[in-house]
Amino acid sequence: MADFLPLLPRAAGEAIAFRDGLPLSVAAFRREASSLAARLPAQGHAVDLCADRSHSLVAFAAAVLRGHPVLLGGGRAGAAQFLPTAARFPDAYVLADAPVAGCPLPVIRLDGAPPAGEAPPWPDIPAGRTAAIAFTSGSTGAPSAHPKPWDALVAAAQAAATRFGLREGDGPPAAVAATVPAQHMYGFETTIMLPLQAQVAVEAKETFFPGDVLAALERLPGRRILVSTPLHLRALLSGDAPARPPAAVVSATAPLGRELAAAVEERWAAPVLEIYGASEAGSVASRRTVEEEAWLPYPGIAMEEAAALVPGLGRVPLGDALQLLPDGRFRLLGRIADIVKLGGKRASLGELNRALADVEGVQDGVFVVPDDLERNPAARLSAVVVAPGRSAEDILLGLRRRLDPAFLPRRLRLVEALPRDALGKLPRRALLALEGK
Amino acid sequence: MNAMAKPLPTGSEDTLAIEEELKRLIIEALSLETTPEEIDAEAPLFGDGLGLDSIDALEISLVVSKAYGVQLRSDDAQNHRIFASLRSLAAHVAAQRLR
Repeated sequence: MADFLPLLPRAAGEAIAFRDGLPLSVAAFRREASSLAARLPAQGHAVDLCADRSHSLVAFAAAVLRGHPVLLGGGRAGAAQFLPTAARFPDAYVLADAPVAGCPLPVIRLDGAPPAGEAPPWPDIPAGRTAAIAFTSGSTGAPSAHPKPWDALVAAAQAAATRFGLREGDGPPAAVAATVPAQHMYGFETTIMLPLQAQVAVEAKETFFPGDVLAALERLPGRRILVSTPLHLRALLSGDAPARPPAAVVSATAPLGRELAAAVEERWAAPVLEIYGASEAGSVASRRTVEEEAWLPYPGIAMEEAAALVPGLGRVPLGDALQLLPDGRFRLLGRIADIVKLGGKRASLGELNRALADVEGVQDGVFVVPDDLERNPAARLSAVVVAPGRSAEDILLGLRRRLDPAFLPRRLRLVEALPRDALGKLPRRALLALEGK
Repeated sequence: MNAMAKPLPTGSEDTLAIEEELKRLIIEALSLETTPEEIDAEAPLFGDGLGLDSIDALEISLVVSKAYGVQLRSDDAQNHRIFASLRSLAAHVAAQRLR
């Protein structure tokens, strides 16, 4: 790849975002990003806590122009947990479009005043420069950081654009509404990198609840794509059908059941495409869930039995075991060892159990993963705990200080002893019986 | 005990009924290990208090939409107040339902 790659190789008049149904042109976007870049400190690491996705796009472009990596901490919902991690990066600061209560870092507000005149020309970005840093685990202690060089992000965006027909000349430009935050790897790739690198404009307003999504789908023009998750799709299906269904649906973060995919395809008459990826590797493959079990790697990506070879990143280990098929596709065989995934976040059961053991008063305890965790988007963990004299609330309070809320046990059963066998192991059947299933 | 009941703000009878019903519906939808009596209607729904997160917020939006036909929206400027507690959520539902 080249030594330098453009940040925004798009024509001035094209739309890069929609604000209240009105297009934000590439030219106007350049002015906003240049104006913000001029207000940023000389060096630093940026945390984007904007609610408006077009602001997140401006924030990212401005940070890249100044050579500041953006820390992908999940956005506003998990800000309280993430900001202490962010504070460990030199000169970290927050970019926000609303006040941030109790923020331990300096906050730079996007002021919203439309800058006049022409934006100065943008230099191309050094290929090897870290433009974003993704984080994994977050179950306990410090999440691990995964730096993303600019060429890796560009290559991934181009591969996705090729796969989904979003390049110039592939058809009408796409308008994307997303139920996932721009500050999580999947949302970042689809709603920040794609608008910068492909023929994509993104809905600015938050679209989290079904009502938000229906309104956005009605407001957006043209070829509308919904970027979502099994959890949101299930919620959307249980409510009113959209007056204007999207032209295509993309799902990731958790396995999408074939039944759910089929129901969405039938009700909305739109293909449902599922992406396979991880924060470390980014998106690496896709499939049309109703038609095929096997995954087709993105162009430029090669798969190994438990790793992906990714342009710009090299060999990236995955949390899943893969079966490679002769035609270049692959099948997922299951999660490796003790990784659980919830709400788009991963944790190791070992770490979760250690966190439980660390809670004051806990003598023994174990997290229990429900059988349907991989199928049921709303499934949650539970825990069985031995803690004489303590209440379930005491234990939960202790866990809340140590864990991401997604991993908190939804049922916490206090028992006198765990059904450990002679080797000290816990037979799963005995646990489930104790847990009251 | 004061024999005179305090005057209730407009619509609060409705709010109280919805509050009780919401407790039941939310416990059921989220399989919470608690009883309606144990839920403090003024405690925060998220963070401390009930300790819910954004996955739960989505479930609650489904409950509210199914039971009352009220659509929760992210761009509602009052959202931090609506989700502040079960009581404020009930008040929002009561107000929206009257429209």
